[in-house]
Amino acid sequence: MSLDTADASAASPAAASTEDTFAGISLRRLAWRRLKRDKGAMIAMGVLILVFVTALLAPLIVSVLGLSPYDFDNSALDPALGSLPAGSWGGVSADHPLGVEPLTGRDLLARLLYGARVSMFIALTAVTLIAIIGTVVGIVAGYKSGWVDTIIGRSTDLLLAFPFILMLIALSPVLTQRLEALGLSPENARIIYLVIVFAFFGWPYLARLIRGQVLSLREREFVEAAVASGAPTRRILFKEILPNLWAPIIVYVTISLPTLIAAEAALSYLGVGVIEPTPSWGKMLADSVRYFAVVPTYLFIPGTALFVVVYAFNVFGDAVRDALDPRTGRNLR
Amino acid sequence: MGKAYKNGLRLAAVASVGALALAACGGGSTSSDASGSAAAAGVTEGTKGGTINALTLSEQWQHVDPQRMYTGVDIAFFTGYTTRTLTQYKYAPGAEGTTIVPDMATDLGTASADAKTWSFTIRDGVSFQDGTPVTCEDIKYGVSRTFATDIITDGPAYAISYLDIPKLEDGTSEYKGPFLAEGSIVAGFDKAVTCSEDNKTITFKLNRPVGDFNYAVTLPAFSPVPKAADTGEKYDDNYVATGPYKIQEYTKGQKMVLVRNENWDPASDDYHLAYPDQIVVSFAIDAAAIDQRLIADAGEDKTAVMVGQLQPENLATIFGTDDPRFKDRSVDGYDPYVRYTVINTQKVPNLKQRIAIAVAINRAEVIAARGGDFAGDIADGVIKPNLAADYAPSGMWTDMFGQAVPDTGDPEFAKKLIAESGEPMPELTYQFPQNPVDEKIAASYQAALAKAGITVKLEPIEPSQYYGIVFDPEKAQALIRSGWAPDWQNASTVIPELFGKTGGFNLGLVDDPAFEAKVQEAAAMTDRAAQGKAWQALNKEAMQNAWVVPTVFGKAQFLWGSNVGNAFLWDPYGSMPYGALFVKSA
Repeated sequence: MSLDTADASAASPAAASTEDTFAGISLRRLAWRRLKRDKGAMIAMGVLILVFVTALLAPLIVSVLGLSPYDFDNSALDPALGSLPAGSWGGVSADHPLGVEPLTGRDLLARLLYGARVSMFIALTAVTLIAIIGTVVGIVAGYKSGWVDTIIGRSTDLLLAFPFILMLIALSPVLTQRLEALGLSPENARIIYLVIVFAFFGWPYLARLIRGQVLSLREREFVEAAVASGAPTRRILFKEILPNLWAPIIVYVTISLPTLIAAEAALSYLGVGVIEPTPSWGKMLADSVRYFAVVPTYLFIPGTALFVVVYAFNVFGDAVRDALDPRTGRNLR
Repeated sequence: MGKAYKNGLRLAAVASVGALALAACGGGSTSSDASGSAAAAGVTEGTKGGTINALTLSEQWQHVDPQRMYTGVDIAFFTGYTTRTLTQYKYAPGAEGTTIVPDMATDLGTASADAKTWSFTIRDGVSFQDGTPVTCEDIKYGVSRTFATDIITDGPAYAISYLDIPKLEDGTSEYKGPFLAEGSIVAGFDKAVTCSEDNKTITFKLNRPVGDFNYAVTLPAFSPVPKAADTGEKYDDNYVATGPYKIQEYTKGQKMVLVRNENWDPASDDYHLAYPDQIVVSFAIDAAAIDQRLIADAGEDKTAVMVGQLQPENLATIFGTDDPRFKDRSVDGYDPYVRYTVINTQKVPNLKQRIAIAVAINRAEVIAARGGDFAGDIADGVIKPNLAADYAPSGMWTDMFGQAVPDTGDPEFAKKLIAESGEPMPELTYQFPQNPVDEKIAASYQAALAKAGITVKLEPIEPSQYYGIVFDPEKAQALIRSGWAPDWQNASTVIPELFGKTGGFNLGLVDDPAFEAKVQEAAAMTDRAAQGKAWQALNKEAMQNAWVVPTVFGKAQFLWGSNVGNAFLWDPYGSMPYGALFVKSA
């Protein structure tokens, strides 16, 4: 799927306004132009940027608002109701714009913002590791073929065959203890543990995808030309082949990010995710499910946040894929 | 020792330990004319037939083996259905429930003048589920199993502590139970527990006066086991019943089915009411699902009871509005437990530092996280007010440490104490079973102690492994969540257990010979009023030493199906009165 300019321009009966410039346009700019035309993608991107910025600036925002994700507030709870939030809408008040957590009175807005940091950190770090490992292994396997490919192929098969969620739960106590022994706090150990496990079980999918791409790429003329002209293998792999793989990598990344955020939520729900007092969206969701009947707003807040972000990522990822791949019909109108 | 349930019911959140008797018993008339009728038992007459369903989050009962059974709710369940004991608590609401009545014995036992010898006579017609009559030798054999502490684990140790058998230098009994082929010195045990010629009367010789020994024999640890059927560690799975029901099926993680024991002779039993035809226990049901099923009250759940307690999120729905749907099938009352946090004396040997931890903890947040008004009251010691004879305010939070400590904790005072302690505060780790309530309390501890400059690491532990870990001195950390209920109406089942060197629940590894001597002195007192004063003083001394930080004198809340009769909060075990339950219309 090499997206050289000739292909792309041929595939793009672009509007008359762009006609005078398309001859010299780069692949990246072309994709960006296609993406910009997709309104849904732009909205999704705006949402994602907003979430990233608020997550990044969470400590600042929270302190400006005079909130804290960790401070208990008994005054916001009603002891006669078994420590449910006092007042309507889950304890919404000037002090607590989104209400408070039952039993503790911790501020939900602050926990939502801090939770975004944790959830995003886990998803982004894991996906970065997956992209690096998956790409490198995939390229090597695809290009080298022979026994290297066989060994890598069998080991990815092995990892893919693992019942991943079960392994995650089973390994949790052992591995987190090991990480704590390295001097990490228990809260951080859980976070790092999630990242490691997501990355470890996530890369084979990408590696397979990349390997398939490389298998067809290495038969292409420009690769053969490079080989014929005596270019070293490393150059061929990373200068000739890799640039042609960005599309599948980016697509894979944007599609796995929401999966990872949701997986963090699911694992926190199962009790092997992050632990107190660290907030994460998954943890909030897991806690709030118990209150769906009595404090529905509590469930609604992390639920909506998770839904919006996962949906935005999916829309955006889909649009990026379309923008990068000229053969999909949608952007060819 | 009760281990916590799988996912943390609130009771489990407590350490469902040796939960036994409590509430003001005091002068209750221990009528010996129990006639077996519901009226005599203090409950309403029920109808026979139908199935009672018990729903529980836990994967299994802690133990079915009577000598290993020590969790309050387990004892309440099995003594109600399958396991007969010499005496047992009366099925009655309120304080009357903490009086004892004879079960397998003809009366409440006969004590010698010095209360060092107790005899009980077994009623005619008492038999095992295969029809073999229960004899004194069977009870004696059952009691002997307690001494095999390597195999018969987790059970109460009163037989070892009370029976007049020579002790070895390390404080353990010279008798090591019935499983050792050789090397066990049986003569001492044979002298301490004797049977009459007709094998009907069992006599216990004690090493000190125990005026309320007939309360101790409510424990299934003093119930019979047929020697031929004893499979040691595996007896948990092959229990031979003596009560009106026997175990038809027990699949851990799924269900237990109890059916009528045709060899149980009603003429031999004035205690058991035996109304339903069948009892079905369903294991491993999510706590939230149990609540929702009982709230919905549909189909089979109409005859269901919860083994654990209501979850905090549902308390307002059920008790907040006098809702007629729940009014007659729910209860909110004090349970026998005191919840506290142990400060491990090996990890924090410095007294000032222990006091600093105690005053820094925010008790108001703990109460809120446990459910506000439904949690109970702020505790000031390990003896609860409903143990009336032995309770006196300890003054822990008013003047014990030289100044009042507000419910929200006093970080400045804690800092001052740390400065006075003369050494740097070690970094602490708090161990707790991972469940939604305890992890909130853990977060509160971490934040409150941080304000006093104390760093706390949190170590959540999978609930079913909790006590296994914190009981291991190698793995126990500085702060350990726990809870305790007296085994009967005497703090002799509290103070020595929690703070005695050989106490069964000494999680803080307290080793204080002077304190120990005073405990022994108090335990031997025959004047109950003087003994009560002694326990009050020792409770206070334990708090002065900050061996534990008491947090809550707890309450319990239950909901049951609309077709269940005789359901209430039964004081001795803080549970349902299982043996009295019946199906209103089958």
